[in-house]
Amino acid sequence: MGAGDRRALSAVQAAAAGAPSDILHLDMDAFFASVEVLDDPTLAGKPVVVGGTGGRGVVASASYAARRFGVFSAMPMAEARRRCPGLIAVPGRFGRYSEVSAALMGLLREVTPLVEPVSLDEAYLDVSGAHGLWGTSEQIAVALRGRVHAALALSCAVGVGRTKLIAKLASKAAKPPADEGGTLAGAGVLIVRAGEEEAFLLGQPIRAIPGVGPRSAERLARYGIATVADARQLERAGFVRLFGSSHGNALCDLIAGIDPRRVEPEREVRSIGHEETFASDDADLASLQRKARRMADAVAARCRRAAVVGRTVTVKVRFSDFSTINRSRTLAHPAATGAEIGAVAAALLEALELGRGVRLLGVHVSGLVSRDEGAEQLELFPAASSEPDGSLDAGTRERRLELEAAADAVRRRFGEGALWPPRGDDGGPARP
Amino acid sequence: MKFRTERDGLLEALVTAGRAAGSRGGGMGSPSIQLSLRGNQLEVTGSDPDLVIDVRTGVVGEADGVTLVPSRLVGDIVRALEPGTVGVVADEEEVRISSGRAEFVVRVPVGAEISRLSQLEGESITLPAARFAEGLRQVVRAALTDDTRAPQLTGVLMVATESGMRLVATDSYRLALRDLEGLSALEPGAEVLVPARALTEIQRLVGSGTDDTPLVFRHSELDAVFEIGEVRLTTRLLRGPFPDYQRLLPPSYPYALTTDREEFAGALRRVRLMVRDAKDATTPVRVTFSPEGAELTVLTAESGRAVERVDGRFSGDELTVAFNPSYLLDGVEAIRSETVLLQVIDASKPATLRGDGEDEYSYLLMPVRVS
Repeated sequence: MGAGDRRALSAVQAAAAGAPSDILHLDMDAFFASVEVLDDPTLAGKPVVVGGTGGRGVVASASYAARRFGVFSAMPMAEARRRCPGLIAVPGRFGRYSEVSAALMGLLREVTPLVEPVSLDEAYLDVSGAHGLWGTSEQIAVALRGRVHAALALSCAVGVGRTKLIAKLASKAAKPPADEGGTLAGAGVLIVRAGEEEAFLLGQPIRAIPGVGPRSAERLARYGIATVADARQLERAGFVRLFGSSHGNALCDLIAGIDPRRVEPEREVRSIGHEETFASDDADLASLQRKARRMADAVAARCRRAAVVGRTVTVKVRFSDFSTINRSRTLAHPAATGAEIGAVAAALLEALELGRGVRLLGVHVSGLVSRDEGAEQLELFPAASSEPDGSLDAGTRERRLELEAAADAVRRRFGEGALWPPRGDDGGPARP
Repeated sequence: MKFRTERDGLLEALVTAGRAAGSRGGGMGSPSIQLSLRGNQLEVTGSDPDLVIDVRTGVVGEADGVTLVPSRLVGDIVRALEPGTVGVVADEEEVRISSGRAEFVVRVPVGAEISRLSQLEGESITLPAARFAEGLRQVVRAALTDDTRAPQLTGVLMVATESGMRLVATDSYRLALRDLEGLSALEPGAEVLVPARALTEIQRLVGSGTDDTPLVFRHSELDAVFEIGEVRLTTRLLRGPFPDYQRLLPPSYPYALTTDREEFAGALRRVRLMVRDAKDATTPVRVTFSPEGAELTVLTAESGRAVERVDGRFSGDELTVAFNPSYLLDGVEAIRSETVLLQVIDASKPATLRGDGEDEYSYLLMPVRVS
């Protein structure tokens, strides 16, 4: 049975009213801020935020004490300081957060191997096979919360439902309510059983549905849609017209409570990438492009080692204020060389406003297929205009691939520093 | 402006003209349609910067005039009305549409404008509509649909030949070529590059018409006009250079598979089910030729595989060539003869699909390289 069949089956199973509530969603409370408080106990109980402390910084994470003042993540730092004069803002330490996250995921995997991390502080678990050892889903959820608190001294919320959607909405509902009126203790664990699902879902604000961002929510509000119940009035065709076919259909399903997504523990490698955090912010396009090209070479070498090629090149930019954006371009042909990946990354950077200063830069290749299977559609004649997407014509690519593969061999033998792009190859000094 | 008419005729005119008032309009506001009444003749015009569609329809006119209406809204309104008489009254600010007990008062869009391409006069040629449309059906499919890469490839080249006219389209992966003998729409040596989008509309307008339906064609350096029945379509022409397609036609083919068109198409449709995304160019169908026919295989890492044998004759040694299954199927479906020939050289040179005895049509297709 292929992966596709299993997906289809699980959709059918989930749709059956009797399906058990076996999916857990665990979400850490104010993760970055809590880790800061953990590492510096003098901050306990104080309004702490993690985020860019400069003039245009934004809040990445806010402690519950800060939330009592109406400070929330994604809020401009200046606004946060206005609302909370005693605010303690600390710059983020992502290395440390990753460390704590790894410990957290380790704890979760003791319960079941079916753990799908979503981000540093969030994961889905499928506990259908864990009942014998750990009890009911509800018992597992409660136990997990206790174990996380005991081992990491951090708190979290756990939602339980038949689908990822319900589990995620449930964990959100189990969180300490943090509106401007004050913070109350949250339930910590919420289980939504099959019979309660419909009522639970209908009462959700539309904004809570994954994939509905502020812009989508605003668009729906124009049609008088504020809750899932409102959205049920809109026909599928309406969603498709508003959001396009793929997003519209997916949204319509979620609103109907249809979510066939499985917990996918070992997601096949979906992208190969390289990221670097700079010692000082870099706002210079040429310098960033040079760095991107260098990273692209490293990414291409890793792709070749894994014998994969990918069609989508993404650059990730985190600015000095912690806001992070990704920009992607999908090529007509899979990119296999550093030259191609680097050219696309450089073009993507060119289209960005980098004046705020870049703290972290990443270059990723996704849409990976194995090189043996990854096929290339040949062309009748050289594409009439091959420049816009940065892909090379077949002959040039072939030669470039040979060249870079030879460089791989040299580096394997003599070390990473044995070779680097010649001066002028990318219009600047070769080494950073 | 004031007139009465039957709902169905008005709806048809609004829908047809509305196809040119799509989202491509660069103007302000939502797409608009112009209604223009003179006597008992209503002209409904939809336009964007590249395409204008005018539809004339007879009405009972009471007061001449011109107005703009929001395309989608008025289309939806007229479609929803009960069949029967529709009354339309317009002044400078609003348009009143009434039928039975329903009445709609629609504001005239502000800031909207109808673009007008040049009014082409001069010599026109009459084409046999059904034959021309059949040629379009075979060729338009090979044109590029996304114009960001190479705008000139989103067109179909119409070129005068010694004995008629030739239609050519290519998206750089495949190329379709159809000769229309004895059909001369262009002065000798002339060629025009017509957007495939406009030609798709022509196909739709001709519909199931016969060759007796005249299709009138005129063109200038910049624009072309097609008139069929009460509909006039004006399109901006594309600028070349169109690829030198004649250079691409291989002089000869060493091998050919001869097989039944429907059997081949059916097998392709089935094995293609394993390809999740039809636009996914990276999952090919491998065609393994042998003297008794061909075997089609689609292999994917994620979903599994599909294999199907197709009976036929192959004039060569065993050979495997991989293709984008959708492109290959497009070509097979374009052929009219019941027997198709798939001619190949090797796994990296263009293959050609033809119909048996159908020399006027060729569909060239580059393979997919699997390493």
